[in-house]
Amino acid sequence: MMEPAGLRTADDDDLLPPPDWAPGRPMAPGTRAAWGFAALAAVLAAGRLWVAPAVDSRALDAWTTIFVAVCVQALPFLVFGVTLSAAITVFVPAAFWKRVLPSRPGAAVPVAGAMGAVLPGCECASVPVAGGLMARGVAPAAALTFLLAAPAINPVVLVATAVAFPDAPEMVAGRFAASLLVAVLAGWTWLLIGKGEWIRVPPRPAAEGVGRWEAFRQAMRHDVMHAGGFLVVGGAAAATINVVVPAGWVSGVADSGWPSVLVLAALAVLMSICSEADAFVAASLSQFSPTARLAFLVVGPMVDLKLAALQTGFFGRRFAVRFAPLTFALAIAASALVGGVLL
Amino acid sequence: MTRAAQNLLLILVGGAVLWITLATDDYLNYVRPGFRYVLVPAALALVALGAAGLRREWSDEPTAEPDPHPGHGGHPGPHGHDHARGPRVAWLLCLPVLAIFVIAPPALGSFTAARGADRPPAPPPSRDSEGYAPLPRDRGPIPMTMGEFIGRAWQAQTGDPSTFEGVPVRLTGFVTPRRGGGWQVTRLRMACCAGDAVPFPVIVKGLPRPPADTWVQVEGTWRRQPPGAAKSGVHVLYGTSVKRIKRPANPYE
Repeated sequence: MMEPAGLRTADDDDLLPPPDWAPGRPMAPGTRAAWGFAALAAVLAAGRLWVAPAVDSRALDAWTTIFVAVCVQALPFLVFGVTLSAAITVFVPAAFWKRVLPSRPGAAVPVAGAMGAVLPGCECASVPVAGGLMARGVAPAAALTFLLAAPAINPVVLVATAVAFPDAPEMVAGRFAASLLVAVLAGWTWLLIGKGEWIRVPPRPAAEGVGRWEAFRQAMRHDVMHAGGFLVVGGAAAATINVVVPAGWVSGVADSGWPSVLVLAALAVLMSICSEADAFVAASLSQFSPTARLAFLVVGPMVDLKLAALQTGFFGRRFAVRFAPLTFALAIAASALVGGVLL
Repeated sequence: MTRAAQNLLLILVGGAVLWITLATDDYLNYVRPGFRYVLVPAALALVALGAAGLRREWSDEPTAEPDPHPGHGGHPGPHGHDHARGPRVAWLLCLPVLAIFVIAPPALGSFTAARGADRPPAPPPSRDSEGYAPLPRDRGPIPMTMGEFIGRAWQAQTGDPSTFEGVPVRLTGFVTPRRGGGWQVTRLRMACCAGDAVPFPVIVKGLPRPPADTWVQVEGTWRRQPPGAAKSGVHVLYGTSVKRIKRPANPYE
């Protein structure tokens, strides 16, 4: 990665500050490399002294296995979502969305939420698709509603929930109702208080001058590159939580009312389980109240570590730090409400 | 990240997935067997995408490369970056590929099983609400999944013990030592990927403990526990024989 200073501008990307950003005289590349290697050597020596004796090699193996498993599991859904997103921006004319969605964003939000019921996939697929919708001129609030609704209320996920809770069909109904409610409320809230500059609409390579397939290919590669790296970050975070956090700490609060709902909601964020599998995990948390488990099912597909990383990659950090807490709060409130009525 | 690097990275990631699904059975360490049918098309799509990009840019080379902003001179996007080049974060995609080839992480074992031991046991499988078919008693040990054994044992413990007591069965799993002595044979069950694996343990009594993480076949019978003894929720197999085996192709249940 080391290059002569004169060639840097041609090969670097937007994450690097411009060359004139640093006050004072910039360090020569050689000095910087020397400092970098010194820091690296210090980290390695410290790690060998204090960390290595405490690391169980089986724990490291388990971490690597879960890290690879999360990435491998999410990859097909990501590729599917990216393909669909590229197809939406290249092959579906913008006029189509004008016809399907009401022109007033406030009315478009619930329609977009209902559209989420037809995309079969988990949350990794819905992020790029929502980006594609925005790039096609759909109001961001409506696209975000779709993003939240699609992984939670599509037929595949609902069937998986019904299989995991064979004796409790009200769990399926509760999941559907609470998730749709959160998605629509979040869309409307974004419409009311959201600022345009918080969100970075994913850019699309301009299609003029190139064929449609060429535009399709460029859009797809662009999305894989942006989402893939952040997916890896999310996978590493989820694997760390899985290996480091003791499994026993959750069962201590199972019998309490409100804390148990909050604990399972937080667990859903940390574990980052794919929405097609989370119902089975929720079913195994049988010592928790139905409302707490509903919160696990509603929060999981909307807010988790992997998803937050993906959203950062697609829509920017300023978006993710606002949208994730908003959705988290709404999801807990909606689960408590729907759980109180239905379960 | 240059476009050539992006295309090569796509091929690398797709190739790694093809390696663990088609060339080896490594993917079974990470996801369920059925995942193969979505992993292979996704990997082929990535390889095709990278190859098409390489071919395209190879033929475009003389005109496209000197100008990094082809086709959209006036608007480099709302956040001022050029999407012909990939973000630096995309390099992280090399990490799982490196892990797959360099470390080849094994299936989860006794470490994960021991961590799951703090959790209460998984509920009995759902189908036992209709009940299991009766078992023949005279045909030698019956091979059984851990899930079925735990389901039948739960049913027999709470209902009629005579349906299961004394029936010789054969369980396959790996050895996990128990805290405070003794051991159990365990199999991990996953719903989707190794991230959600839940241990299904059965205590083995009457046999010496093989080394931890050894794969074994244990034969024995289930016996009803006196009330109060089954507090831990883990069922007990009174073993008659234990045989070391090779790790099964699919280490999960």
